[in-house]
Amino acid sequence: MVSTEEYGTARRGASERPADPAAADAIVVEDVGRTFAVRRGRAAGEVTALSGVSLRVARGEVHGLLGPNGAGKTTLCRILTTTLEPTTGSARVLGLDVTRQSRAVRRSIGLVFGGDRGLYGRLSARENLWFWCAMYGLRRSALRARTELLLDRVGLLDRADARVDTFSRGMKQRLHLARGLVGDPRVLILDEPTMGMDPVAALDFRALVAELRAEGRTVLLTTHDMAEAAAVCDRVSLIDRGRLLMTEDTDAVGRLLSGYERVVAHGVSAGLARRVGALTGVVAVRHEADRLEAETERPSATARVLGVLAAAGVHQVSTARPDLAEVYLHLVGRRGMGVT
Amino acid sequence: MSLFLAALRLQLRLAPRSPGTLQVWATAPLFTAVFLSIAEHAHRTDLASFSVVAPTLMGQWALTLGIAGEIIAEERNQGTLEAVIATPGRFSVVVVARILAVSLLGVTTMAEAWLVAGLGFGRWIDVPHPVVLAAALLANAAAMAGTASILSSLFVLMPSARIVQNTLTYPLYLLSGVLVPLSALPAWAGAVGRAVFLSWSADLLRAALDGPAVPRPVTRIAVVALLGLSGYLIGALLLSRVLRRVRRLGTLTHT
Ligand SMILES: Nc1ncnc2c1ncn2[C@@H]1O[C@H](COP(=O)(O)OP(=O)(O)OP(=O)(O)O)[C@@H](O)[C@H]1O
Ligand SMILES: [Mg+2]
Repeated sequence: MVSTEEYGTARRGASERPADPAAADAIVVEDVGRTFAVRRGRAAGEVTALSGVSLRVARGEVHGLLGPNGAGKTTLCRILTTTLEPTTGSARVLGLDVTRQSRAVRRSIGLVFGGDRGLYGRLSARENLWFWCAMYGLRRSALRARTELLLDRVGLLDRADARVDTFSRGMKQRLHLARGLVGDPRVLILDEPTMGMDPVAALDFRALVAELRAEGRTVLLTTHDMAEAAAVCDRVSLIDRGRLLMTEDTDAVGRLLSGYERVVAHGVSAGLARRVGALTGVVAVRHEADRLEAETERPSATARVLGVLAAAGVHQVSTARPDLAEVYLHLVGRRGMGVT
Repeated sequence: MSLFLAALRLQLRLAPRSPGTLQVWATAPLFTAVFLSIAEHAHRTDLASFSVVAPTLMGQWALTLGIAGEIIAEERNQGTLEAVIATPGRFSVVVVARILAVSLLGVTTMAEAWLVAGLGFGRWIDVPHPVVLAAALLANAAAMAGTASILSSLFVLMPSARIVQNTLTYPLYLLSGVLVPLSALPAWAGAVGRAVFLSWSADLLRAALDGPAVPRPVTRIAVVALLGLSGYLIGALLLSRVLRRVRRLGTLTHT
């Protein structure tokens, strides 16, 4: 098992983050585990959603939580937003314990989740925000002013009086974001905030996260989208099957993303596949029937592979970016660590 | 207070379109007609106030219980529950304010019943004590909301809330002297009925419609309000316990 805690500390040492982690970290997760009781037929069983997760997010950091479906991302978000208690371990937000000081935690966090749900569909966007403002103790002129400001910020002013039911997914998602900002939170937990957004809206979202960072807010966001994480996060953590596999500076992940590529070609002979495998910068080759799959670690290597294939008269060729699991394997593989 | 008003407002925007509300508005005049027919048939014109007060309180209580059972299930379904719980606002305030909005809407059934008595039976019932009537209606709506909030939190734990909800209506009508005066019930039942806010508000409302002066109106309204307040406090305590429990079990978002 990879010790994430070690990486976190080493990373912090490497950059200029303050020396005292207790004072500097907005989010501290210590050895958190969470299990759920479930019924399988008539037998009672248990599902482990998180196990031994430790994570530190510095103040002002934008941290990405990446992982496949069912990895435990939402579970961790719920624990940090006090809607779920950890079974073991503890978590603190701005020094406040999420279990024992939950009300104080709620005052300093904002929660955003993705998808169509989580809004009052029969009310207008403005009415929704009025209500959420009231939940944070805002009243009268402050409540109205905050509502207008946020509607403007997420670009919903001209649809503010339309029923939320009539909104597109992207518009709902922007309203979710506005709702998360209602309490002017120091820490934002965003669970798949770009779910359902079109590419343009997703770009707007990146700009918004940059603004939030500039305002000194801490952001923890979950996503499946490696490129999105690379674009907005300072660091990312990879989580899989309830375990935090590693925390890494985004630069490193970004380099991997732009560096690693996969070339897939058809009509490739075994001999040609061997020649491709021998090229520098080609890290792995799979050859089945006449299908070749070559992993490269540098764009120059990709170009070399394409050149060799073209020279051999192979024209059914495509390239692709590696997905999250592959990058993760590269990362872990490079360090020679075992995967559980 | 501001959260209270915001939640009240939210519900007032949501409620008029809900089928439960419409059903009560549709059935209250029918109940009035039934009660009045019985009273007329028995030549008990003195019971006309019963025929207005009973459908009002029954309709109002059905509405109030309905919303109390629905609020949390609905919040879960639309995915707002988790977001609400993650805010610093008190959820019990939201719950009671939203129930109150509906029980206040339920007051309109009294106007309906009054119109049915007048238009349908030619009995235009006087309102000799409008101030007592208004104050009693308000206190009663608040007490209904406070009492029903106890059930809201129980409904978080029990998915079969509807059955509980339905079995809770008629015993309460009976014990509260809404249908028949408490004095007509066995002594023990009458004593139990005195502990239910509804018996006090039913008496008050009828007294406000019947001729002579209403004795001790302030004390009696205060009793209604206090019984309602204790309901709210029990409800708030229960809700915080129930929420802690679902946070531990991880069933908060289960529908
Ligand atoms: N309330 C619950 N009761 C039972 N099991 C649960 C509960 N919540 C989560 N789980 C289980 O815990 C695991 C982690 O779920 P979680 O929702 O945290 O994953 P995720 O990383 O957010 O996935 P996705 O990318 O699909 O949103 C899953 O196996 C899930 O089925
Ligand atoms: Mg999730």
